[in-house]
Amino acid sequence: MRNISLIVKRVLKSAFVFAVLSVLTISATRAQDVVEGRKLFKENCSSCHQLESNSIGPALTPMLKGLDEAFAIKWIRNWKALVDAGDKQAIEASKYSPAEMPFFPRLTDGQIKNIIAYAKAGEPKKAAEAVATTETTSDGASTFSIAGIVAIILLSIFVLIILGRAVKMLERLILQKQGVVIVDDVRVPFGAGFKVLLKNKRFVGFVVLLLVISLGSFGWMGMWNTGVHTGYQPSQPIKFSHELHAGTNQIDCQYCHQGAFKSKNSTIPSMNVCMNCHKSVQATEKYDGQISPEIQKIYAALGYNPETQTYDKSKEKPVEWVRVHNLPDFAYFNHSQHVVVGEAAIRKEKGLKPNEPVCFACHGPVNTMEEIYQYSPLTMKWCINCHRNAELDVKGNAFYDKIIEAHDKIKKGEKITPAALGGLECGKCHY
Amino acid sequence: MESNKKYWKGLEEYKNTPDFVEINKNEFAEPLPIEDVLNEAGLSTVTPRRDFLKALGFGLGAVTLAACQTAPVHKSIPYLIRPEEVVPGIPNYYVSSFNGQSIIVKTREGRPIKIEPNLNAGPFNRGTDALTQASVLDLYDVSKLRDPILSKNEKASWAEIDAFVKSELTKSQSSGKKIRIVSSSISSPSTLAVVADFIAAYPATQLVQYDAVSYTGIIKANENSFGKAVVPKYNFDKADLVVSFAADFLGTWISGEEFTSQYVSNRDHKSLQNGKMSRHFQFEAGMSLTGTNADTRVPVKLSEEGPALITLYNAITGANLAGGALPNNVTADKALKLVAKELIQNKGKSLVICGSNDVSTQILVNAINSAIGSYGNTIDLDNPYKRYTGNDAQFSELINEMNRGEVAAVFFLDSNPGYDVANTKSFTDGLAKVNLKVSFSDRKDETSTLCNVIAINHNYLESWGDASAYEGSYSIIQPTINPVFNSRQAEESLLIWSNGPVKEYYQYVRNNWEATVLPALGKVWKDVLQTGVFITAPKPAGTYTFSLSLAAVIPSIVANSKALAKDIELQVYESVPMRDGKHANNAFMQELPDPVSKVTWDNYIAIAPKFAEKLGYKEFDIVSIKDDKGYTIELPVLIQPGQAQGTASVALGYGRTMVGKAGNNVGKNAFPFVSFTNGTYKYATTVKLESTGKREELAQTQTHHSFEGRNIIREATFTEYKKNPAAGSGNEHGKHKSYDLWDKYEKPGNNWVMAIDLNACTGCGSCIVACNVENNIPVVGKDEVRRRREMHWIRIDRYYSFNVDGAEKHVEEGHGEHSNGINAVTKENDIAHLENLDNVSVVHQPMLCQHCDHAPCETVCPVLATVHSSDGLNHMAYNRCVGTRYCANNCPYKVRRFNWFNYWNDSRFDNYLNNEFTQLVLNPDVTTRSRGVMEKCSMCIQRIQAGKLKAKIEKRPLKDGDIKMACQQACSANAIIFGDGNDPNSEVSKALRSERIYYVLEEINVQPGIGYMTKIRNTDTTVQA
Repeated sequence: MRNISLIVKRVLKSAFVFAVLSVLTISATRAQDVVEGRKLFKENCSSCHQLESNSIGPALTPMLKGLDEAFAIKWIRNWKALVDAGDKQAIEASKYSPAEMPFFPRLTDGQIKNIIAYAKAGEPKKAAEAVATTETTSDGASTFSIAGIVAIILLSIFVLIILGRAVKMLERLILQKQGVVIVDDVRVPFGAGFKVLLKNKRFVGFVVLLLVISLGSFGWMGMWNTGVHTGYQPSQPIKFSHELHAGTNQIDCQYCHQGAFKSKNSTIPSMNVCMNCHKSVQATEKYDGQISPEIQKIYAALGYNPETQTYDKSKEKPVEWVRVHNLPDFAYFNHSQHVVVGEAAIRKEKGLKPNEPVCFACHGPVNTMEEIYQYSPLTMKWCINCHRNAELDVKGNAFYDKIIEAHDKIKKGEKITPAALGGLECGKCHY
Repeated sequence: MESNKKYWKGLEEYKNTPDFVEINKNEFAEPLPIEDVLNEAGLSTVTPRRDFLKALGFGLGAVTLAACQTAPVHKSIPYLIRPEEVVPGIPNYYVSSFNGQSIIVKTREGRPIKIEPNLNAGPFNRGTDALTQASVLDLYDVSKLRDPILSKNEKASWAEIDAFVKSELTKSQSSGKKIRIVSSSISSPSTLAVVADFIAAYPATQLVQYDAVSYTGIIKANENSFGKAVVPKYNFDKADLVVSFAADFLGTWISGEEFTSQYVSNRDHKSLQNGKMSRHFQFEAGMSLTGTNADTRVPVKLSEEGPALITLYNAITGANLAGGALPNNVTADKALKLVAKELIQNKGKSLVICGSNDVSTQILVNAINSAIGSYGNTIDLDNPYKRYTGNDAQFSELINEMNRGEVAAVFFLDSNPGYDVANTKSFTDGLAKVNLKVSFSDRKDETSTLCNVIAINHNYLESWGDASAYEGSYSIIQPTINPVFNSRQAEESLLIWSNGPVKEYYQYVRNNWEATVLPALGKVWKDVLQTGVFITAPKPAGTYTFSLSLAAVIPSIVANSKALAKDIELQVYESVPMRDGKHANNAFMQELPDPVSKVTWDNYIAIAPKFAEKLGYKEFDIVSIKDDKGYTIELPVLIQPGQAQGTASVALGYGRTMVGKAGNNVGKNAFPFVSFTNGTYKYATTVKLESTGKREELAQTQTHHSFEGRNIIREATFTEYKKNPAAGSGNEHGKHKSYDLWDKYEKPGNNWVMAIDLNACTGCGSCIVACNVENNIPVVGKDEVRRRREMHWIRIDRYYSFNVDGAEKHVEEGHGEHSNGINAVTKENDIAHLENLDNVSVVHQPMLCQHCDHAPCETVCPVLATVHSSDGLNHMAYNRCVGTRYCANNCPYKVRRFNWFNYWNDSRFDNYLNNEFTQLVLNPDVTTRSRGVMEKCSMCIQRIQAGKLKAKIEKRPLKDGDIKMACQQACSANAIIFGDGNDPNSEVSKALRSERIYYVLEEINVQPGIGYMTKIRNTDTTVQA
């Protein structure tokens, strides 16, 4: 269902974009400033400034409204020079805490004017949406075309059936005109035919066999998959999108999952990690200038008030994520063992591309997951298969030197797998 | 020739009683009721066969259906703001101190889970004692109070308490009455400074220090003899000859853990390789841990202790003091004369100590030590111990003051006189007359319930603080967890009440260090937080000569001795697990078997076999014990070989009534037997015994596993060892050639093996508790121990054997060819020596999974739950085990343990882990085993794996010593050596190449991975009698 609604949304969006774009081209000259300004704003200003609310720097829109443009240009380029020159307005403005604003000498007057234009105009809602959707429609096309093809095929089958009927009718009419008597097929009653079929031992045998096979295989598969939760995708308290963060924004896995390369746990990031960006990234442009409700959940958990930018310890309430990847308590798994020591072996075994993080080997294409789901079965068989087949990369790791030297199998030139070094023994994971 | 000396674990085994033979036929203690169920009569019992089968069928179906439910939803809750140093899954280590000893606390995700020794803190800080290991459980004790209490208000706020106490203090001060702070000895410089500040604010205050088990006798004696009121520093490492009179210095006396380390450094395999071994005589009434380790142990009655010391003094100095006669103990008399000669021979290299708390006796001991030149060598009066500074007389006077109504306010800091004072009634009566009574206890205990304020103190793992165990040593206490409950550190409370400028104790400690210790050493505060301990260069130990007259003390000693020579002489002593009872609610300590009697969860009255026979008592008979003051308790009898005739021993620390779920009403309180005479508390008295006709089986672990008389303990004397280091190991004439039916296991990578030095092991049991904590081993409780279901992965087997007339032999035969005092009593002629059950020698043997290469358990497991690994370990996969118990049946070492219950989550075992709070002590790297599976020593495989991974990540080879077993780490004696047998230069490989190495039950060729080094006894005298 999710996919269908997405497709519908995208179809609607593209239609909308088309309409909007055609309108926009007419008033292009004015809007161009704003679009250009928005781009510059995102590049240079947005890490400290927001349009409507104070963050590290003051809110831009209300401030710029009563401000002389010439002053603003000078300020942005080098506010310190203004202060040193004794400009009263500048001295007053420089008292704003908490942080000093950097200089932007490279920006041209035109560029700064564009930024101011953008800031004054506020978020150009329609334009922004248009930009956002043009970005996404490109990858939406493939699914759309497949759906289209399927629809066309269905439609043509429907047309063919109708046409077939029409042809039959026409044939009949022609034959009747020619005076040919049409004998309708004698319809055997349905029940009688069924009885005949029941008497047919071969048929019955076939049906029974079919039933046994289908039920058996259904049961067999059911049993094999008991306790296997591949595809497990619980809904989380915050609709965090790995697709957006790891995919679109290309944030490294370790930025949030800091433990993965050091510890047995990859660790779910604490909320202060979220705040590194989301103190200023509030996705207001998508929510009519309001802070995104999902980002507000981060603030709520921390007792953070975005207006005053203060934390209230008494309102803290930790976020209870639903654990997706569950190993039983009696199985020991260590992330660092796999992603640090075994990285080369795993990459080779799972055929990862050089630009993909080693995490993908077991967690799948996380950068495309809107909501995270369990990609691998996490069964013991799955563990062991890899331990049997993966070829360890022992070169350059002095730990293995002595072991390799002593190992007969390796002397014979056989593959060095974890299994060859005792990686299949019970106590290596169960203790 | 293999020794055919006979060893026995308990008297029933020695005598081979019919019960014992019967019980030992079966592998498990309780017979299975299979025959009852299957015979015809089974149909008419409460649960007939058919019903049983119906229930079985239903159960199977129900379980199958129940298993079909969907997987439970697990929540993951990350930190809101992650502390910088915490990475979930990686332990953090902090230095701290416990009882003055510098330790390292291992924390996971902010909760302390294990205590390890701080190896920076001097050469003899090698391990920790059992109590230190167990102390981490005290933090997670559910019996602690959550909020402070003000009179009837059970949820008082600190502001209310501060207001109340301050106003009461002001009233007390103006009333002109006394204010007293009662504390056990304070060795913390900062705490002492806090108390001094408090006294400055309320000048009517005085600090009264007393210890439940007192060392005032030593302090007063040293004050009298040398003008130094201290407990001196003893250097057992410098003593070639140790003579101890009832001082349990390897167990509970002063600083057992450090003394063990010093003492063993003269006796372990390294010392033996250098051809050196100290000699140790023990004269005592009850069999102590130290007594079991002595080369020669001579039982002496309590009343004979004084005369024995006089005899020794006379023999050394040639003086002729009166009272030095032991008419009824010829053995001791002869032994003492021999000891005197050896002491003279070893002048300056020997040490005489005495466990008595009598000032006169200790003055005499000082005189002896002075005569043999101990001062400046083995005894250091200039760098004294500071852990014990109690003053019995002062405390006794406090009780009088309270009874006279002179005391207006009293504060109890780390002390519980309501339980451990000798005269409870006069204490409680006196306390009732005090206006303001404040306890800093963390729970409602025997004293704090009598107080109007319980200002609950932090656990030491939540506290700031410091300690100075001996002169020149300073260690820090730093918190490893945020306070769990609404508690406040006692020192901080005192600071607030004394209205000082600094109210935060952290700041106070820091200021104190920055003002005193740190500048002298040129260090800063951060340094101490990392190293945990600073030791300044010791002052030169001066030589002191005893020059006073003994005329005054001898009559007092003789009078004491005469007073004790009637009825039955009762010794009350600190037992290794329970000590003074402060930690009685610690289930690990309750279940730690006493090192000698192997009794858990109880105290008992120990009586010698022959004496018990004379009195007509059998083992486990409950007798009533009554002293002159009329105090009576009932305790079961324990027949203790080696106990002096005519004496009995009862352990202190039991019988707490208000300590918590685990410790309440375990055993009986023996503190009221303590008496106050001549200015100190005395731990010897006389009692009358009376039979009650009742019986109660003690929960002993000692006879739980029979070894069927096999040759598993091997020993030799030091003389034999010097002739042939392989003496007694069974390999002195070369090894037998052995043949294998099975293929050899390949161990190409590592080969984890262990060597255990029986000569270093003192049997103290700290390895057992360390293993419990590391491996989440459940405590099962008294009843289950009685059913032989204790879960300890490592146990210490204690074997008795006979001496032929013990010390007498020395004297009579001198240094002849066959003069070893432990002349073997063979099976053939042992009956003739039954008379001498007093004179036993003891061997402690740590026993754990031997990780056999040809493990008998592996071949019988029907589900392959226990299998061999390529690095020499015997793995146990709990999730695979179905609980047939075949493996335990087939294990020749009896080291496998079966989970009869879900001990950590079963309301029937409600003394321990059955709550979410206490479960925080569990080690997250080790699975908690569920009901119905077998478990055993895993050779701390989690530590092996972690050590390997660390090396792999750092891309370096594994070094010897990177991986330490929990038991090895806790062992102060270095008796356990672990490492890679494939590395010829590792410590363990070197140890296993020792000639003393033998393997237990080598003859069955299971090829164990643990080698034992023979026990060596230095019993041969070098002097002519």
